[in-house]
Amino acid sequence: MRFNFRPQSHWRFKRFRYRTEVLRCASCGTVNVTPRPVCRRCRSRNLLREELPERGRLVAFTVVKSPTEEHKELAPYIVGLVEFEDGTRVVTQITDSDPEELRTGMTVERVVRKITHDGDSGIIVYGFKFRPLVS
Amino acid sequence: MRNVHVVGVGYTRIGEHWDESLTELMAEASLAAIEDAGVERVDGVYVASTFCEVTNNQAGISALIAEALGLRSVYGVRVEGGESSGMMALMEAYAAVASGLVDFALVVGGEKLSDLLPDEFNSVHSMTLPYDSMGFAGVTPASIAALLYRAYLERYEIPQEFIAQFPVLMHNNAEGISHAQFPFKVKLEDVLGSPEVAPPLRRLECFAPCDGAAAVIFASEDSQTKRSSGQTVRIGGISMKTDYVSPFDREDPLFMTSVALSVDEALLRSGISRGELDVLEVHDSYSIVAPLILESGGFSSRGESCPDLKMSKYALEGELPINTFGGLKARGHPLGATALYQVAEVYLQLTGRAGKRQIDGARAGAAISVSGFGTIAGTAVMLSGEGE
Ligand SMILES: [Zn+2]
Repeated sequence: MRFNFRPQSHWRFKRFRYRTEVLRCASCGTVNVTPRPVCRRCRSRNLLREELPERGRLVAFTVVKSPTEEHKELAPYIVGLVEFEDGTRVVTQITDSDPEELRTGMTVERVVRKITHDGDSGIIVYGFKFRPLVS
Repeated sequence: MRNVHVVGVGYTRIGEHWDESLTELMAEASLAAIEDAGVERVDGVYVASTFCEVTNNQAGISALIAEALGLRSVYGVRVEGGESSGMMALMEAYAAVASGLVDFALVVGGEKLSDLLPDEFNSVHSMTLPYDSMGFAGVTPASIAALLYRAYLERYEIPQEFIAQFPVLMHNNAEGISHAQFPFKVKLEDVLGSPEVAPPLRRLECFAPCDGAAAVIFASEDSQTKRSSGQTVRIGGISMKTDYVSPFDREDPLFMTSVALSVDEALLRSGISRGELDVLEVHDSYSIVAPLILESGGFSSRGESCPDLKMSKYALEGELPINTFGGLKARGHPLGATALYQVAEVYLQLTGRAGKRQIDGARAGAAISVSGFGTIAGTAVMLSGEGE
């Protein structure tokens, strides 16, 4: 078992990885993605849990042709920069599509997909990815 | 604060060292630096290695390095700051020597990456990104470089050829350099025709995994060394800054505030201006990172670094030669060691020991080290002078 797939360390991030739940600062509006006690911009402790919208805009994308060990079985895969209405940006995998179908500016939607698995007996790791909006 | 001098440097060839351990490489570089400096003693050992736990299953490495050098009962510390670990170790050693805590500091960086398979290397390298939001999801440093690359090409409406000139320059500078990983030229067509890593980024626009170690000896101004007469090189100023870990959380992903602030502060501490620098080392981990650093550091206006490169501003014969031994792309990027190579090479320039790459009359130089895409950046400014 590789250290970074300990179930507890994965489960700890479930709010973000499964639901794109983030911490919005009630004082300045900044979105802080991973859990923390104070806002990175204004240090306010007044952080409110919020789910990012299910839809965002694809700002840019690339294809990972030189993957990491834990993601190689899905390679080549698409990585894109997705921006939400409020300006929050996340870098994430774009799934269910070929690069040729994608264009910058298009609407993408959040789905839950397999990220990787830890051998034959370890955990299967899921998380969000985005895909072109099915209209 | 006492003035801090660079009094010696040492390094290994960068490449694949199958028969040598990380400890051996770092010890070799250290002994070469100690010999170069002609110092009798070292009372602080500063070790930079980004990934020794992962690549060598080793924690507490500073004691191993000290022992391998025949040193006992010294202060030994290991410093890790991603790709800028080496600059961070230099900064810690500088602070110790300047404050009087240490008289002679050995700063050595080393990395052993060639044992890793390519995908293992990518996993390890991805640790320099925020793991919980990026690395976990399969986002790699090369893919971030690709997203920034696209943004840059779009904003300034230039073709990829402009950016791809950076690796061409690096290979030109590395040609025939005995310690360089890739001591040969490449053509622009070769760069643009190399396999895609994460389009538009291509293989020859990326640094390659390697092994290497480099070392620098710092001494306080009043410490006696065999070089204490004649030419001296002083650390004019050194500065490091962090920034938000995702470039896309910053006001402008194409501007590295950490670079801007560390360059400003290091120059201010040195009492010189950008225009007085004769030679500059920049962290060209990926082709696109070099222009981002040159523009963030104020050496080119925004969007102008590629035209400046085309006009030979950054060539060996230009106004501000960069990476005179080939930079990260061609000399090599053994992560924790890289800033030590940068500083050693600036030292060679300022002491007239740069051989075929000597920039005539170089008296001031700087090295800029970056982790990731500006998550951490450090700048060291070095000034030559005459000893007593
Ligand atoms: Zn805030």
